[in-house]
Amino acid sequence: MTPAIRQPEPLGLVPGPFHDRIAALNRQQGWTGWMGHASPTVLDTVEFEYFAIRNGTTLFDISPMNKYRIAGPDAEAVVNRLVTRDIRKLKPGRVAYAIWCNAEGNVVDDGTVFRLAPNEFRLCCQEPQLGWLDDVAWGYDVTITDDSAAIAALAVQGPTSCAVLKAAGLAGVEELKPFDIRSFRVETHDIMVSRTGFTGDLGYELWMAPGAALGLWDRLMEAGRVRGIRAIGYAAVEMARIEAGFLLPRVDFLSSQTHLRPGRARNPYELGLDWLVALDKPHFNGRRALLALSRQRPARRLVTIEIDRDKPAHHAFVYHRKRREVGFVTSALWSPTVKRNIACAWIEAPWVQDGGDLWVEIYRQRELTWNRRMARARIVERRVFDSARRRATPPADF
Amino acid sequence: MSWDAIVVGAGHNGLVAAARLGQAGRRVLLLEALEGPGGLLGAPAAGQGAGSGGTGPGVRIAAQPTWLNPIVTMGLGLDRYGLGPGVAQPTRAWGPDGPVTLTAGSALGVAPETAAAYAALHARLRRLAGPLARFMGRTPPPLNGAGAGDLLALALDGLALRRLGRADMRELLRILLSNVWDLLEDSLGDGPLAGALAFDATLGGAMGPRSPGTVLPLLYRLAGAPRGADPEILIGALLKAVAATGGVLRCGAPVARILVGDNDRAEGVQLESGEEFRAPLVLSNLHPRRTLTGLLGVAHLDAEDVRRARLMATRGMAARIDLRLATLPEALPAGTRLVVAPRLGAVEAAFDGAKYGGLPERPVLEAVLVPGAVPRLAVTATFVPHAPAGSWTGKSRGTLETRVVAALDEALPGLRSEVTGIETMTPDDIEARYGLPGGHWHHGEFRTDQMLMLRPFARVARYRLPVAGLYLCGAGSHPGGDITGLPGWNAAGQALKDEGKRR
Ligand SMILES: Cc1cc2nc3c(=O)[nH]c(=O)nc-3n(C[C@H](O)[C@H](O)[C@H](O)COP(=O)(O)OP(=O)(O)OC[C@H]3O[C@@H](n4cnc5c(N)ncnc54)[C@H](O)[C@@H]3O)c2cc1C
Repeated sequence: MTPAIRQPEPLGLVPGPFHDRIAALNRQQGWTGWMGHASPTVLDTVEFEYFAIRNGTTLFDISPMNKYRIAGPDAEAVVNRLVTRDIRKLKPGRVAYAIWCNAEGNVVDDGTVFRLAPNEFRLCCQEPQLGWLDDVAWGYDVTITDDSAAIAALAVQGPTSCAVLKAAGLAGVEELKPFDIRSFRVETHDIMVSRTGFTGDLGYELWMAPGAALGLWDRLMEAGRVRGIRAIGYAAVEMARIEAGFLLPRVDFLSSQTHLRPGRARNPYELGLDWLVALDKPHFNGRRALLALSRQRPARRLVTIEIDRDKPAHHAFVYHRKRREVGFVTSALWSPTVKRNIACAWIEAPWVQDGGDLWVEIYRQRELTWNRRMARARIVERRVFDSARRRATPPADF
Repeated sequence: MSWDAIVVGAGHNGLVAAARLGQAGRRVLLLEALEGPGGLLGAPAAGQGAGSGGTGPGVRIAAQPTWLNPIVTMGLGLDRYGLGPGVAQPTRAWGPDGPVTLTAGSALGVAPETAAAYAALHARLRRLAGPLARFMGRTPPPLNGAGAGDLLALALDGLALRRLGRADMRELLRILLSNVWDLLEDSLGDGPLAGALAFDATLGGAMGPRSPGTVLPLLYRLAGAPRGADPEILIGALLKAVAATGGVLRCGAPVARILVGDNDRAEGVQLESGEEFRAPLVLSNLHPRRTLTGLLGVAHLDAEDVRRARLMATRGMAARIDLRLATLPEALPAGTRLVVAPRLGAVEAAFDGAKYGGLPERPVLEAVLVPGAVPRLAVTATFVPHAPAGSWTGKSRGTLETRVVAALDEALPGLRSEVTGIETMTPDDIEARYGLPGGHWHHGEFRTDQMLMLRPFARVARYRLPVAGLYLCGAGSHPGGDITGLPGWNAAGQALKDEGKRR
């Protein structure tokens, strides 16, 4: 056997399909690594970018996301075996948010499942899952392909996003209900549009061949000129997702595939994702463990808390009666839109139920001097920012 | 017709499990694919027609006289069913400078200091094997999601090693994961004696004497009984024990599927013929991979368990070669086991070939005479790869047979001219005939990551499978292969215990 000659892997971060345009706009030269791609953190100022999500239209390159195609006669059986939701209920042309668990009932990852056809699915997620998918699919008649590099993806989010897409030539996009998928022809390219996103606002995700990326970008920028369009970085998306109550693996919880220490993985009941677990469907990965877990009280819960005072509670501990340590904060934000100081926090079970007399210790540094303050906290609804425009079909034009 | 329990496969472990369940008052149905019971121990393979072929009575896989663990013989009261006292089986270890004869703890034909060293080593290893022997007769302790670090601690507790005393415990920990070559060379020097022990430590597995973890299998062997009986007698006694408790054996009944109800419990089996049998308890004597991914089906399993079942190390390394002889060789007394492994290096060299998929130039082997109208020499040669260079051909079979006969001819001069026929079962043949993935001696490699509470692998190491009411009861589960009856005994015990909890 002659060993195959391998192309050397590029060193460092590689440019994505929209890179040329983003680099030109990246005044801050702020980049971060996302699955080996250069992804912008902040292009201009995070405030501009955040407010564009809530008041205009934003473009954010989500191409680095992992995308897998699961196709074949057993595709439905495999996806149903993978995720905890009953995927048999997902119709072609629809998307579902889903999680998947290991045999112990701990969450492996979360993502979106696109049902492109009766026997064809696409799975989009944060962590690489090819090995896991191969394991889950063993013995079934399906083909699993890693499409991550073959598909460019762009999140177009914000209240004017529908208007921008229409102006860019995607007539009929206003008919898409949340979680709908439809394909459009723009010039010579097929663009698949799903009404999905990570901002809790009106928004879409556009999926295309990498060759179509730059042309589409220019078209959208042109169409969006009078509708407040702006390319944004990751920092603004992070603010919007905390307001919208979406969880982030590696930040709010660890995938059962990435933690090293025992006891660090988390199950759906702890994460407050019970609604995603369909225990009444036939066997799926982790079902037996989840059945047992569903009968117990989770040891801890991930909750959204609201905190008095206006300083974000980054990395704070949570106390009961200012004394007993009962949890800690994973994500924190002073929400500029709802004007509330919010955070995502793990809290031990008894104090979730009790709910009263919770405090967080906020650490602040002013001119190289640290001080700390106790601030009162309350458990609130997970989705702090919720807008009717997220659901309205057709969306308003503004 | 409904049953309290169904046992799939009537290997000796299936028979033991059925008898123990019967003893506890369960109505048991035993289903065997082949024409007769006993599995690798009992059911002879019909003439293969390979090599110089023929239509003899066929190759019996485990040909050496063996004995069940005393927990089983006593637990089932097998002496009531015609199991005699058994006989001690000496080993004759051949070497170019004359044979060494071994009986438990004593060596004849070596220098007095070597004999003394052997007696001391044997006593020491038997002592160290003591806690193992206790542990073998029980369900291993649960892992409970313990990390790798906790594992050893747990093993130490479970093994009740502390009873050994400080010095012995230290010694056990020192040698447990080491290699048998160093242990034997340090204690005995090289030669037929060390060669035969290295052969025993590595027989049937894919590790040579220099591989780490080869002391443990030797300890396992030493924890067993030092006597044997003809397979026929063992099987006969077990069959009687099953029948005495009302158990029913059906042969020629290959099971195709294990049936699982909507409540996620095993509820019976379906034969290849389509016929179905119902029972709330199903025990499988089959290889773990076959049981899980074949009979049960991956749809009922989590991906992790499927992966472990797929990937468990289970490539067989032992071939059975039966030689029909014109006359009995005088150099080998009946009832004596001949081992041809004249030096430590001979065992390692045979392994080296197999490691890369080749046939050993000089196979290492054991042989025993099977008297009868046509006397036979039953040979087990190890480090014969599951499929040399991809697959077996008439040529590679011929090569194996020639080399085996050459090795034997050295030990038993003149044997070559007495051979009137050869029947060979490669690991591949054993796989096909007994529905045994890899054709592996132990239903899965016997190494530390597939032993004790990791046998056959985590999450199914306590006989119980993820589907309620379904158990493994064959050599693939703790304590493992060889003829001991312990997997069957422990599995039935665990099933009864779980049933008790449910009631
Ligand atoms: C070449 C060789 C030589 C050996 N020599 C010795 C030795 O000298 N001493 C010793 O102690 N050990 C020896 N062993 C090991 C020993 O034979 C095995 O470890 C032991 O027999 C395993 O017993 P078991 O009952 O667990 O499984 P098995 O004996 O394999 O029994 C499994 C049974 O299930 C049946 N079955 C398979 N599929 C189906 C189905 N679908 N439906 C119904 N039934 C089915 C099989 O036909 C078989 O009867 C040897 C092994 C090999 C390979």
